[in-house]
Amino acid sequence: MQLKALLAIPVLFLWACKQPTPAEQLDSALSWLATAGMAGDAWLRHTTPDRYTRETLELSRKTLEQIRGDLLKAPPSKVDAASLDGALTRSRRRIAQMAKLVEAKDSPAFATQLDSLRSDEKIVKQLDDSANAGQ
Amino acid sequence: MKKILELALGLITSVGGFLEIGSVTTAMQAGASFGYQLLWAILLGTVCLVFLVEMSGRLSAVSKHTIVDATRERFGFPFFFFVAVAMTIVSFLVLVAELGGIGLSLQVLTGIGFPWWAVFVSVAVWLLMWKGSFSLIENGASLLGLVTLSFVVAAVKMHPDWGSVAHGLLPTLASDNKAKYGFVAVSILGASISPYLMYFYSSGTIEDKWDESYIPMNRIIAGVGMSFGGILSMAVLVAAVLALQPRGIDVQKFEQAALLMTPALPKWGFVLFAFAMLFACLGAALEISLSIAYFFAQGFGWSWSEDLSPSKDARFCFVYTLIILLAAIPLVFGVDPIKVTTMSMALTAATLPLPIVPFLFLMNDPIYLGEHRNGWFSNSVVTIIILISFVLAIISIPLQIVGG
Repeated sequence: MQLKALLAIPVLFLWACKQPTPAEQLDSALSWLATAGMAGDAWLRHTTPDRYTRETLELSRKTLEQIRGDLLKAPPSKVDAASLDGALTRSRRRIAQMAKLVEAKDSPAFATQLDSLRSDEKIVKQLDDSANAGQ
Repeated sequence: MKKILELALGLITSVGGFLEIGSVTTAMQAGASFGYQLLWAILLGTVCLVFLVEMSGRLSAVSKHTIVDATRERFGFPFFFFVAVAMTIVSFLVLVAELGGIGLSLQVLTGIGFPWWAVFVSVAVWLLMWKGSFSLIENGASLLGLVTLSFVVAAVKMHPDWGSVAHGLLPTLASDNKAKYGFVAVSILGASISPYLMYFYSSGTIEDKWDESYIPMNRIIAGVGMSFGGILSMAVLVAAVLALQPRGIDVQKFEQAALLMTPALPKWGFVLFAFAMLFACLGAALEISLSIAYFFAQGFGWSWSEDLSPSKDARFCFVYTLIILLAAIPLVFGVDPIKVTTMSMALTAATLPLPIVPFLFLMNDPIYLGEHRNGWFSNSVVTIIILISFVLAIISIPLQIVGG
């Protein structure tokens, strides 16, 4: 009986991995936008390898895509869903473009995209703030 | 002179071998999400570990019994079996996380995904154990692990507010996101008070043939070495506060963690992080694999020593061979080591009373320790640690549900 109880612990832990709430998804989107920004900054300062930067940007893009899909199904309350969708879609495109620019080693164009990404990040941050204020 | 050298080496290995993927990940998550607020959890975990490691070494040096065989002898087979099942599950998950940590380090360095590294890493760890001696595993990996000192350099270079750091050493409640705060605190304690460390240290005492004359040295290594190790964990948290929190990065993947030292050390930060994690996880993977093999061999009365040739302790070698092979499987299929780490740290906390409670009885048993039994102070500390372990066991699963 005791052994069965002990074996049940990992099963409980697996069950405990709950789905994130829309507010948590929005925080996660902000975290990945910031990650892409920080990886971009690091690459511009020649402190990270090209391959790592490309893959981190690609990971950010894919994760944002997944988060965007989830947020479209269940947007956070008090958030303009269209604005959020627009900002996340633009961000994903910019990050994909940044990954290509790393391959082309085009730092000036990369810096321009990075600045635009920062603007989109600010929009998402404002939407997140409005969602938090509404709670 | 020989003992001074052993002491120096012991201290170096305690520091170099302290960090592993669990302590780094939980410290980074704490710093990125809650600033300096969870430094107290690392401090508490380190203090608990200092006492438990000191007792593990003292028990083995005086009685020539490891914790495992003393537990089996004192409490009987049913209790030992119960502990064995829990420790095997927890240690297996931690081993998956550490092997994955090595693979992830190689991934960020080479661009080749960690599932491709899983088999290579597992074979390399197994070969080191098959061919290597105990001192190679104890000292070699830990000496390489000294590269983790770069976390301290990075943290200091980012000029933390020392007043806030000191304030973080005092327990406080989170103003918001309390469930996540609690979950991360429990995970930090689970990462700090790792039972495998005690089993490894206790077995190492026997492997190194310590006797009662080593009791003062054991005290210094446990106290000073583990405290410095705790400072490394705190340095990771501080670096995360300064590098990740202002940008709003919450560490969910290793790729995010790899940026930790780039603001402080622009030229070498990225490479230092990758090598620090590589060596820290390598040392931990070797120690955990050995701990599991020690656990079974000592519990079932088999022949065991990392210094014996495999033909002389075949069952001991079979256990670590099997566990390393099994641990490679989820990694080959791409299971995320960071997720396994988060889960294993909370699971460690959930099962903590099982390895901790026997300490109170063993350390007061005159048959094992004679005049070196615990005094009132050590007994008070063990009792408090046991109480903490029960609290952690009770709250870890609810916190995983609401805050994990």
